[in-house]
Amino acid sequence: MSAAGVTHTKHRISWRKFLSRTLGHVIVFSVGLFFLIPTLWMSFTAFKSRTDVFRFPPTLLPYDVKEVTINGERYPLYRVPIDGQMREFARLKVEEGNGTYVNPQSPDEVVEMRARLTEPVIAIKFHWNNFSDAMNRSTRPGLTVNFWTYLKNSTIVAALTIFGTLVSCVPVAYGFSHIEWPGRDAVFVLVLSTMMLPFQVTMIPLYLFFTSTLGWGDTFLPLVVPSLFASPFEIFLLRQFFLTIPKDLIDAARVDGASDLRILLQLIVPLSKPILTAITIFTFLWAWNDFLGPLLYLNNPEHFTLAIGLQDFQGQRNTAWNQLMAASVVFTAPIILAFFFAQRTFIEGIKLTGTKG
Amino acid sequence: MEARRMVTPVPRAARRRRWSPQVRRSFIKGILFISPWILGFLFFNLYPMTKSFAMSFAEWHLRIPSEWIGLANYANLLHDRRFWTSLYNTVYMVLFAVPLTVFSAFVFAVLLNLKLRGRSVYRVIYYLPSIVPVVASSMLWMWIFNTNNGILNVFLGYLGIKGPSWLTDPAWSKPALILMGLWGIGNTVIIYLSGIQDVPVSLLEAAEIDGATWLQRLWHITVPMVSSITLFNLIIGVIDMFQYFTQAYIFAAVQAGTTAQQLGSPLDSTLFYSVYLYNRFQTLKLGYAAAMAWILFVIILICSLLLLRASKRWTYYESEGT
Repeated sequence: MSAAGVTHTKHRISWRKFLSRTLGHVIVFSVGLFFLIPTLWMSFTAFKSRTDVFRFPPTLLPYDVKEVTINGERYPLYRVPIDGQMREFARLKVEEGNGTYVNPQSPDEVVEMRARLTEPVIAIKFHWNNFSDAMNRSTRPGLTVNFWTYLKNSTIVAALTIFGTLVSCVPVAYGFSHIEWPGRDAVFVLVLSTMMLPFQVTMIPLYLFFTSTLGWGDTFLPLVVPSLFASPFEIFLLRQFFLTIPKDLIDAARVDGASDLRILLQLIVPLSKPILTAITIFTFLWAWNDFLGPLLYLNNPEHFTLAIGLQDFQGQRNTAWNQLMAASVVFTAPIILAFFFAQRTFIEGIKLTGTKG
Repeated sequence: MEARRMVTPVPRAARRRRWSPQVRRSFIKGILFISPWILGFLFFNLYPMTKSFAMSFAEWHLRIPSEWIGLANYANLLHDRRFWTSLYNTVYMVLFAVPLTVFSAFVFAVLLNLKLRGRSVYRVIYYLPSIVPVVASSMLWMWIFNTNNGILNVFLGYLGIKGPSWLTDPAWSKPALILMGLWGIGNTVIIYLSGIQDVPVSLLEAAEIDGATWLQRLWHITVPMVSSITLFNLIIGVIDMFQYFTQAYIFAAVQAGTTAQQLGSPLDSTLFYSVYLYNRFQTLKLGYAAAMAWILFVIILICSLLLLRASKRWTYYESEGT
């Protein structure tokens, strides 16, 4: 975009530049709305009341009927046409379509009117209690299961998976980078090619193996134990990073008589903090979001993770959208937090994914 | 590329016959370090692969002995209407959703690369939806797609368009899923963005001095320079799309009002390959499901190879050019 060497048409250039820049802003902003609005919609629905969720036309922000206190009791506020004027009165009761309205300023002024002639006064109101309601809601009678249970289970599964991945992938990646052994590169190609294998091909025998043979059905073990055996994508990422560590450094340590295990733990691991952070985050994301795994192996709601527990909010007839969105926000929040704390790591990691192509 | 050179070349003749004690020691050491992967490969890849291959030729039962039925599972698949429906639905997504997603991701990456004020904020906005868990985002979009109260139809209403019943009309359920997928496109955009940033500035400047317009520079320089990334995104997109499951599962679950009693609803329009496979697995047609899995594997392999082969015509690698 630099305009070097075209100074003689400076005026025209800057005018055109202004136009194209404005156009750019308009396009980037409009497309941005497509990404932004659903995100906001989720966040704000989480704060809406049950009736507000179904308000038509819908509003982005949470609105609710304004309330006033008269003689210690709370009443909803309505717009009432009196003598051709719209005035804000509190509604005391509705009987057979007839409402009784009272002026909040002077409680002696009472009018009766068809309720459909009046309309509620609405104001922005955030229902924070949706979150506690969603978390404490127990949809399964006879079981003390609520969203906290799922949150706890998701955390346990994610933490164990991260541990397993780090413990297994670090030595494997070392074996593929700083130890020279015949056949290494051929084996590494095999590692990469296993990424092509669809999950469905191994799903059924693995399911039978874990549940029938090992008796691990309805436990976290089938979800967590495989991570102890190094997955190809993480091996690849780590190996690429390890290869950037100068060979001379490692040779020097070897000459000094350091064992490979020591080189790995005391030299390479401390130098690899960025990639280890990235892998921690990716594994967390993966474990936190995993749907099919828990769906296959977990039967008892006491063992459910958030990903499958979220379905609790789908009722037979009506769905508690506000609570569902509140739960979704809780589900998403740790990831958003991780993103803002480690934005650079996130982006770098994703770029690494692409550059192997 | 570096790694290949780092292995000391072992003369071909000597390779099999005898390793010096040093080479043998390093071999054992290497194997020891990668042993977690070797065990994982044996237990979680090789064994289940061979077993599911074997299962695909059997009527597999959980408790009573299974019977070998040869190719019967595969033959039955040919006459299974729902199998073809699921394949059709999946191919529909691969043909429409994947190219659309890759194309949009490129366009969005170009937009995010414009030198505009607030660019980093835009990047975050475009990217954030992709880290919303799939389950949560699917639920959210089911709410957005709501025929009467969903914001999408309300918005279309403002434009004077009567929005379709996204959730209940079989003609609109797949476009709805594609639209939802576009929302979570962030990762692909970032991959493209990094590729676009790697395009040498000198090249673009030279073209600009030669009088090439912005669009010409984009088409003749940027597009070829990121072609290897396009290939990567296409292959990953196709592989992922053939395994499309979670979104469709939740879509149908919300649709049916109960927890996934009716996979594929409305009217099997979201019965994708993996969804039907899961359904066969659930109903304990294990041999049948295994046969489906293997067909899926073969389809994915063929598609990837075709893409790779076709790509030789249109991808450009920097190392080749010099």
